[in-house]
Amino acid sequence: MAGTTIIKQLGNRKIVVADSAAGMDEKFKGDVFVDGSHCGQNVGEMTIHNKMGAMIGNDAGMGKNKAGIAALKMCDEHGIPAAAVAAMSAKIGDGMSTYKDGQISVANETAKKIGVSAGMSAKEAADKLLESLAKSGK
Amino acid sequence: MTHEIHKVVKESGGLRIVIADSATSISEANKNDIVVDGSHCGANIAPDYVLPNGVRGMIGNDAGIGMENAGIASLKTLAEHGIPAAAVSSMSAEIGIGPSTYNDGIISTVNEVAKKMGVTTGMSAKEAADKMLAGISK
Repeated sequence: MAGTTIIKQLGNRKIVVADSAAGMDEKFKGDVFVDGSHCGQNVGEMTIHNKMGAMIGNDAGMGKNKAGIAALKMCDEHGIPAAAVAAMSAKIGDGMSTYKDGQISVANETAKKIGVSAGMSAKEAADKLLESLAKSGK
Repeated sequence: MTHEIHKVVKESGGLRIVIADSATSISEANKNDIVVDGSHCGANIAPDYVLPNGVRGMIGNDAGIGMENAGIASLKTLAEHGIPAAAVSSMSAEIGIGPSTYNDGIISTVNEVAKKMGVTTGMSAKEAADKMLAGISK
């Protein structure tokens, strides 16, 4: 089972870290979910289904048809900011590594508007997402 | 936790080859199965999903291998438990999509147990799964 750790809280929004996107749950609705999973299609479905506020995962080296970041576009379509860290910057499967070591390789359009950009640390990106979500009050 | 329905592609002597998008959907129902999935083979996959459920063989995605070979970390763990495991190249199959691992995947990395069963780099995932099934049945 995938454990989850709450790293930070701002207003009613949290940064939640987990090894796997399977740790997503409706109890984290509206929160920033940082995990060690790839950002493939099924992770996009989990993010949308569980109504995450934002998501940061691993780009899994992008791979065939950029399957490793397929979730980013799907999240855009639902107005969810999402970004991926480079597979060479963080250990896939290790959520804390995504959070502490990760360097953003790709941000979706929604995340870009919040100021998340390639080359930024995952920590800084998560903070930007948390602040934006807390401010929105949605 | 994900609740996907697994596709059984082969059954022989009480063993099955099943396809799943995510290793996180592995449950006790997969006891004695060879699971071919769309997940990375990171450190969390073996202890969190494969080992507790009695899975007999695993093929996943190498996720570009990545930082400290994190994308294939579970292969060694599974070898220590006598379980054959292999990963397909992330450029050969779309991560997150189990049928792509099974139908398109080309093996990039093999653990010691799978090697003894004849699984080799460059082999199709389909053939590798068959070799595991034959190897375990012996």
